[in-house]
Amino acid sequence: MRDNKEAAIATRMDDHIISVRGLKKHYKGGAIKALDGIDTDIARGEVVVVIGPSGSGKSTFLRSLNMLEIPSCGEIFVNGVDIVGKGVNINQHRQKMGMVFQHFNLFPHMTILKNMTLAPMKLLKKSREEAEAKAMELLEVVGLADRATSYPSQLSGGQKQRIAIVRALCMEPDVMLFDEPTSALDPEMVGEVLDVMKKLARDGMTMIVVTHEMGFAREMADRVIFMDAGVIVEEGTPAEIFDAPKSERLQSFLAKVL
Amino acid sequence: MQEWFADFKADFQLNFIDDGRWRWIVQGLGNTLKITLFSLLIGIALGIMVAAVRSTYDKNKEAMSKHKGAGYHLFTVVNAICKLYLTVIRGTPVVVQLLIMYFIIFATSRNDVMIAVIAFGINSGAYVAEILRGGIMSIDNGQFEAGRSLGFNYVQTMIYIIIPQVFKSVLPTLCNEFIVLLKETSIAGYVGIVDLTKAGDLIRGRTFSAFMPLIAVALIYLVLVVVLSALVGKLERRLRKSER
Repeated sequence: MRDNKEAAIATRMDDHIISVRGLKKHYKGGAIKALDGIDTDIARGEVVVVIGPSGSGKSTFLRSLNMLEIPSCGEIFVNGVDIVGKGVNINQHRQKMGMVFQHFNLFPHMTILKNMTLAPMKLLKKSREEAEAKAMELLEVVGLADRATSYPSQLSGGQKQRIAIVRALCMEPDVMLFDEPTSALDPEMVGEVLDVMKKLARDGMTMIVVTHEMGFAREMADRVIFMDAGVIVEEGTPAEIFDAPKSERLQSFLAKVL
Repeated sequence: MQEWFADFKADFQLNFIDDGRWRWIVQGLGNTLKITLFSLLIGIALGIMVAAVRSTYDKNKEAMSKHKGAGYHLFTVVNAICKLYLTVIRGTPVVVQLLIMYFIIFATSRNDVMIAVIAFGINSGAYVAEILRGGIMSIDNGQFEAGRSLGFNYVQTMIYIIIPQVFKSVLPTLCNEFIVLLKETSIAGYVGIVDLTKAGDLIRGRTFSAFMPLIAVALIYLVLVVVLSALVGKLERRLRKSER
C-alpha cells in the first residue's frame, strides 16, 4: 500500500496542490522576520511534516497557507491560483483546506454534531440529513459516535482534537493543515489523535503537519521540512533528515529533541 | 399602632387620593417607561452598529490595509466617527447632553418626551457599543480562526459563531446598563418632563409631605428593576442550560 502511494505521488509530482514562492512575513517594518523567503511545492497526496525550534516560523508558514496569516510578500498557488493576489475569494479556497489547531477551537455553544454540520449545511448547501449522515460516518471512524449530542466542554482533550479533525473533514477538503495538533494534549491522549492522522495519511489525504512528534514524522512523512529563523534549512525524506542530517543547525536540534 | 395606621391613611389620602394626585404618578410612570423603552431600542440599535464598525475595523485592519482601496479609506473615516461619538458621549454628563438636546439642538420642538428619548438613546448607545465590543474582543481569537478556516466569511463567522457566544457573556452587563438607563431617566425632570421622579416631587411640592410620595416613587423604581433583573436572570439560565 505504501508503495502504491509513493508511485502515485511520483506520477503526480508535476501536480502540485500547493506551490509557495518567495513567501515572506515581516513584522514591525521588517525588524522581525517570521518568514524570510520560503519556496516549496506540495504534491497531491503528499504528507509533509514541518519541524523546527519554537519561533522558527513553522506555524506562521502553515497559517499563511490559508491566509490566516497575511504574507508581507510572495506567492502561494493553490490549485494554480495565487491566493495572495488581489480579488481572490479566499473563503472558497479555505473550504478546500481543512485546518486543525493546537487548541482545538471547537464551538462551545454547539453540540458535536452541530459543530460538524454547520459549515457543510451553510457553505456546501447540504441538507441536514446529508450533513448529519456524513458527520455520523466520520464520528464512527474516530470512535466518537456516542458523543454526537455532547457539548465540547464534556469531552477530553484527545476527544476534542479528534472532533476538530473530523469537523474539518466534513467539508471534504483537498488538503489538511495541522498546527501542532498534539501540543496541548496530556501525554496519554497524544496517541489517539496521531492514530486518526495516520489513518488519514494512509487514505491518501494531502497533509501538512507542524509537530514536535518526531515519531510521527519518521513513520508517516513523505518529506520532512526543517525550518529555522524563517527559512527552510533542510528538507528530505525522514531517513535523510533523521539519520543523516547535513546542516549543523539540524544536527543540534535533533540532538536536543530525540 | 392604630394611631400610626390612621396617620398613614391620612397621609396616603392627602398625597394620592385628594385632587386625584395619583394621576401624576401614573402619568409619570408612563413617561418613564416610554422614555426607557424607546431609548433602550435606540441604544441597542446604535450600540450594535458602532460595535460592529469598531470591532470589524480592529479585526480586519491588517487584511484591508494590504490592498488600500476606497472602501478601506471610507471605513477608516466611519471608524473615526464612531470613536469620536464614544469619546464625546462618555466624556460628558448625561444631564448636560439632555439640556443641550432640549435647549439647543431641538430648541424649536416641544415634543419633550421624544427629545428625551433621543438624548437617552444616543447616550445609552455609547455604553452598549462598548459592552458589545468588549464581549466580541473577549471571545478567543481561535473561534474566529476556526470559523474562517472552515470557509465562513467575516459576517457569517460573526453571526453563527461569535455573536451567540457574545450574547451570553454580555447579558449581565447589558442588563446592568438597562437598569442604569431606567434610573437615569429620572433626570428628565430637568427639562420639564413629568416622569416618575418629577411626579413624586410635584406631589411633595403641593402637599408639603415628602415621605409618602418620594418613598412611593423609590418603591416603584425598585419593583421595576427587580422585575427586569428577574426576566434577564431567567433568560440567562435558559441560555446556560443549552450548554450542559
